[in-house]
Amino acid sequence: MKKTKIVCKSLLFLATVFLLSGCWDRKELEDRAYVIGLGLDHSKAEDKIKVTMLIGNPEVGSVQGGGGSTEKPREILSFDANDFLSAKSTANVVISRQISYDLLKIIVVSEELAKDPKFVTWIYDALRDREIRLNAHLAVSKEKPSDYFQNSHPKMETRPHKYFDYMIEHGIDNGLIPDSTLFRFFKTTNRGTDLFLAMYTTAKKGKNPEIKSEDEYTAGQLNATGEIDHTQFIGSAVFKDGVMIDKLNGQETRLVNILDDTTEIREILATYKDPFPDNQKVAVRIMKTENNRVEMNLKGPKPKIHITLPVQFEILTNPSRTDYAKSKKNQEILKKSLIDQTETLYEYLFKKTQTELKGAPYPLSIYSRKYFGTIEEFKKFNWVKSYPEADITVKADIQIIDYGKVSKTPKGKGKAS
Amino acid sequence: MENQPGKLGIREYSAIAIFMTSSKLTDDTVALIYNQLQNASWMLPLVSGGIFFVPLFLLLKTLTLYKNKNLFTVVQQILGKHIGFIVCLLIFVISSTALSFDSRAYVNIIRSFYFTTTPTIILYAILMSVCAYGARKGIQHIGSVSWLLFFYSIGAIILALFLCLKDSILQSIFPIWGSGKLEILKQSSLKTSIFADFFLFTLLIPYLTSMKDFRKGTWISYAFSMILISGAFMIYIVLFDTSVAGLGYPFHTAIRFISIGNFLSNVETLFFPIWLTATFIRFSAFLYLCALMFGHLLKIKDFEFLIPSLATVYLLIGIIPDTPFDVSLVIRSKIVNVAGLLFASISMIVWLTAWLKGEFKHEKNKNSM
Repeated sequence: MKKTKIVCKSLLFLATVFLLSGCWDRKELEDRAYVIGLGLDHSKAEDKIKVTMLIGNPEVGSVQGGGGSTEKPREILSFDANDFLSAKSTANVVISRQISYDLLKIIVVSEELAKDPKFVTWIYDALRDREIRLNAHLAVSKEKPSDYFQNSHPKMETRPHKYFDYMIEHGIDNGLIPDSTLFRFFKTTNRGTDLFLAMYTTAKKGKNPEIKSEDEYTAGQLNATGEIDHTQFIGSAVFKDGVMIDKLNGQETRLVNILDDTTEIREILATYKDPFPDNQKVAVRIMKTENNRVEMNLKGPKPKIHITLPVQFEILTNPSRTDYAKSKKNQEILKKSLIDQTETLYEYLFKKTQTELKGAPYPLSIYSRKYFGTIEEFKKFNWVKSYPEADITVKADIQIIDYGKVSKTPKGKGKAS
Repeated sequence: MENQPGKLGIREYSAIAIFMTSSKLTDDTVALIYNQLQNASWMLPLVSGGIFFVPLFLLLKTLTLYKNKNLFTVVQQILGKHIGFIVCLLIFVISSTALSFDSRAYVNIIRSFYFTTTPTIILYAILMSVCAYGARKGIQHIGSVSWLLFFYSIGAIILALFLCLKDSILQSIFPIWGSGKLEILKQSSLKTSIFADFFLFTLLIPYLTSMKDFRKGTWISYAFSMILISGAFMIYIVLFDTSVAGLGYPFHTAIRFISIGNFLSNVETLFFPIWLTATFIRFSAFLYLCALMFGHLLKIKDFEFLIPSLATVYLLIGIIPDTPFDVSLVIRSKIVNVAGLLFASISMIVWLTAWLKGEFKHEKNKNSM
């Protein structure tokens, strides 16, 4: 009997030990400071970077009804560090809680640092860190990230994680910023054949901004006034081999996003020239439900690439008051005009990527790989060198699925005579 | 034997076999292969499965002659007492080292992805004691647990792989032959150890209801694992493209990346426990097999009592390498190459000797009489 007792007791003891060993890695929510945004910039000291941390306060907004915390929703600190991993412990000099990158949403890099060839070595630390997830986004800011985070004061979404979540999600839905996750950054940089687009942002409105068409801005150029925050997300920074080389405006970014089958675009609203008199612009909604069809002929001295782009258009406005309901001919004219305009836009885009950027801004090289048997042959072909010389044609396969809710606008009202 | 509570049915056996082989898709096997084959890595499981099929088929054919006898008994019977003993000892030593370093590799995964501050030795000790407990319960229990969890685990793995497709570019598998057809063939014949576990399963023959079930179960799970592993490799390639080269454990990187829609992110908390139970089953079964070999070699009847001490020995061997790099790049890549070749050649030798000795003719004569 005594023996059984001892065995039972020791078993109980062992079981407790086993269960408690799970506490080794316990993390208290109270005890952790979650970094939502991480800013990277040049430091005055050589071989160092200036790290800015935007820390969200999980307490704010989480309590419904009474008893909400009166604390601020965020905390921002900047300091110089060797890299952003060891910076975690340095931050504890001022921050009381343990720094965690678990919920990191966005890494903001200053344009200046992004153009530095050494940037790659710093950003690759993100791959080594155990907490950073590859679905965090990479953004390039016009100003210093420390200023960027401080000037960005969302009025409604004061909780930073929600703010960046929504801002990025809807920017991508609209196609005005690229889906620049770290995952895509590392994938593109490792592949080394294509360009990577990172979203471009600023919290400072430019002086005397010009008025342009709805998507031709880059961040900071939109003259938005009112009781708002001046953070703008539009356009993209172009990276080649992990170093920033150029910028694209909102329109070019949107064109790339429509081309890229891996980006999920949902709600692209754009304007096109109306083919009918008055020379006004028609607003359209662009949707893409099918993937591109890409055909290549890489045998000759000049590679030929032919891309068929299947898109669906929904006509939203009708400034010239053309009757589409009755006339098939009018429908045809509009369609033809839309096709022409789209193809011209893409012709311009590809010309720019071939002459100025010298690389495709989306994973086009992957589609060329099926024409080769082995990696050796593909390397011999040398995509990076062949791309600028390639003969690229884009055929827009446009389908107009809707001509608007109202088929007729009353005539004669408000028409300029 | 009759009063034993139950033998392994075909379902339980296939479940164990699939757990043991398919778990390779979650560890660093991909990293070992990708360096040589690049984006043709997904072909390797298919080709090496085809290559290993030949020795395995011959071995099973030989073992059918000896009704309900396990591999070691047959090897000793065919090759003679002394040579047989040496061959069996060799198999035991190879499987033991494989077990030690495989388990260490799994501990490394747990430590680098999930429990980052817990010391390796503690994680290792817990893993080994859970597996020793499982193995001590006997193969029947392992079998029923595997069958119970089979659909959940396979379902979870397939769900995880399916979610990866959202961010994949299918064209990434091109150029279709990767680093060349010859290279694929060469590496496939070197890396047959993916299926080497099937060689060890022949030790379980006496525990199965019948030889027919064993054969059927083997081929079903063989084909299933082949397709599953190859499919998983293909998905890693279309998801990560050339970045697979730098990833030690693509499966775990992938489940940290994917999300179910926009609202359910961080889904690794769902997949990790399932993967962990699969790991427990795998090493319980592996530990049981090693104990079985050891018991057979030294003629210990109640070998199940040896399991805790064997587990401790394996733990002590597994803890020797200092860093995860040593484990996967230096030691495991060597074991992987040796084990497959060795097991394949032993199977061939056993069959050849049996054939030369005229055992097959014997059988025919018996049947015709």
